[in-house]
Amino acid sequence: NGIDTLQPLETTVADIERFKDSSALELTCPNCANKFLFGGIIASNFYTMCYNGLQCKNCEHIFSPLQITSQLERCIRSHISLYYAGWLVCDDKTCGTVTRQISVFGKRCLSDGCTGVMRYKYSDKKLYNQLLYFDSLFDCEKNKNQLLKPLYHSGDIDYPISSLNESSIKVLSEQNRDLFETNRSVVQKYLSDCARRYVDLGSIFEFMRE
Amino acid sequence: EPKKYRFRTMRQNLVESADYLDDQIESFVPIVQEHYQLSKDDFGDPTIQSQSEIYAVGRIVPDSPTTEGFLNPESLALETSRISGIGRRISLNLTEVNDFSLFCGQIVALKGKNVSGDYFLVTEILSLPYPNSPVSTTEDIQKLYNGKTDRTSKIIVTSGPYTPATSFDLTYLAEFVDKVNTSIKPHAIVMFGPFIDVTNPLIASGNLPNFPNVKVQPKTLDEVFSKVIAPILSQINSKIQVVLIPSTRDALTKHAAYPQDSFNRNILQLPKNFKCFANPATFQINESFFGCSNVDVFKDMKEVTKGGTITLRNRFDRISEHVLNQRRFYPVFPGGIKKKLISSSDSKDKKIYEHLSGADLEVAYLGLTEFVSSFTPDVMIIPSELQQFARVIQNVIVINPGVFVKATGVRGSYAQLSILPANIDDGKLTKVESPDGEVYLHNVWKRARVDLITI
Ligand SMILES: [Zn+2]
Ligand SMILES: [Zn+2]
Repeated sequence: NGIDTLQPLETTVADIERFKDSSALELTCPNCANKFLFGGIIASNFYTMCYNGLQCKNCEHIFSPLQITSQLERCIRSHISLYYAGWLVCDDKTCGTVTRQISVFGKRCLSDGCTGVMRYKYSDKKLYNQLLYFDSLFDCEKNKNQLLKPLYHSGDIDYPISSLNESSIKVLSEQNRDLFETNRSVVQKYLSDCARRYVDLGSIFEFMRE
Repeated sequence: EPKKYRFRTMRQNLVESADYLDDQIESFVPIVQEHYQLSKDDFGDPTIQSQSEIYAVGRIVPDSPTTEGFLNPESLALETSRISGIGRRISLNLTEVNDFSLFCGQIVALKGKNVSGDYFLVTEILSLPYPNSPVSTTEDIQKLYNGKTDRTSKIIVTSGPYTPATSFDLTYLAEFVDKVNTSIKPHAIVMFGPFIDVTNPLIASGNLPNFPNVKVQPKTLDEVFSKVIAPILSQINSKIQVVLIPSTRDALTKHAAYPQDSFNRNILQLPKNFKCFANPATFQINESFFGCSNVDVFKDMKEVTKGGTITLRNRFDRISEHVLNQRRFYPVFPGGIKKKLISSSDSKDKKIYEHLSGADLEVAYLGLTEFVSSFTPDVMIIPSELQQFARVIQNVIVINPGVFVKATGVRGSYAQLSILPANIDDGKLTKVESPDGEVYLHNVWKRARVDLITI
């Protein structure tokens, strides 16, 4: 059945470019309630990846695997829920109407006289990339090869004071492999249902019918 | 049927969504036409100027696309279908109508005229006909009961969350399972999610505790269910049928949109007396049709009302009637959202909100949330955060079992439904003549009793 042939999309785009609009994963320390951004095995003023897991620098609490995966899963679900809130935006810069109303002619702007085209503000492409970004954070190979999107840039207030050398990143990636695989399985649960991951031939050729 | 719910999520298509929204208006045109014996020529385009009175079918929308919430009788408009008014919207003037209850997303039939071109002056809101109730033949009923006309069926309905927002304590659930086996002894239990609520504040704060009775601690929320909750539920006597209906807030499903695919019983590691149904789901227990939907329409429907005879009525009754009238379990559009104010910079009173949760409607698939074959269910169950209730509305039993445990840890409620068997000879069924011969209305509302019980 040719029409159902599935193939992966966009595998060649570099991660840093692909994830430029993705939001970071914020974690809360269950012990001291400190909030910080998690960016994989990188230098941070707020957490360290040690040989037995993720540790809060403020209070030295070591997160149980569930304390990470549950926050990751909640974060994924709030992205999906925001996506399903269905906010639309008009592409005409002078109009820019943002609404959850949908005209029976989907793309038509509901502002009087506007000829702009409405589209979903949170696109399925953006959501798909967001999930891939979360996946990359727990990808041992990407961590080892330091291919992750950086959390901070020099000059940022939170720019890490110390740095991590390549060999310790490699060692820590291996030591945390199980933990990372468990987190990846949470992301994969949603990626496996994400329709954007698959493209049927019908929709590739959609433009020919328009 | 259930396969239709198995669509891939996270791919909203604006044109497909709009196609459904257009169909929704168009599907009511023949219903109105037939019920009021109108001809096609009686209908007109309410968005264009005309001296004569016309009939129009359309969707209630706000008169500005950027209005959210707080609507009033002066800020409503009617959206036409592509055929009836090229999808244009027209402001409604409702000053001549005395009593109404309207909400965004509602399909209405109106009589009135548009004299100036600026607004449609409504002279009458035509009430939509209620859909028919399901019926059974003498044969069907005799086959179902097989002479055992003395057995009352007992059905229990519960709705999550099953743990407080302040702990993952499952004592109440364990206690309840025990009570089910030893004293309640129902034939069936219908359990609505969320079983593990992703919006639970303990999850947001990362505060998941260790579970003392588990050897290897769960590493994911899915494992919290299979290792901690499933063993408790599996204690339910295997002779009792258990139906699970998910919530879009359930961590246990990757399908986080409504309509929602069923749970996978094998993944949840539950025994064979458990059945997993989609959300919404319509199913039969004996002859009775149960319509179950797990999006909180009672909380989300914000009505614009006018007139004493309307506003003095019970709000749950009004909303239930709207659901029956609209022939779908969640007729509100756009769906409800819950957000939290995180900051308001005082300079330009610009408020920043964090999105928490919502109805999560997959608009293009909302056809799956319409009443099956346009029949009303005999029993309609729609759990809500609001006060539990059971009422008979238009001969339909409408139940909100209430939450099982309140967020604070206070005991919530469940509903117990006892239905006397259908008996052709006891006069409780109504005989109706149909093209296929004699059939009977089930009149479940005459044969049932609903108790709302503290857990
Ligand atoms: Zn800490
Ligand atoms: Zn516009």
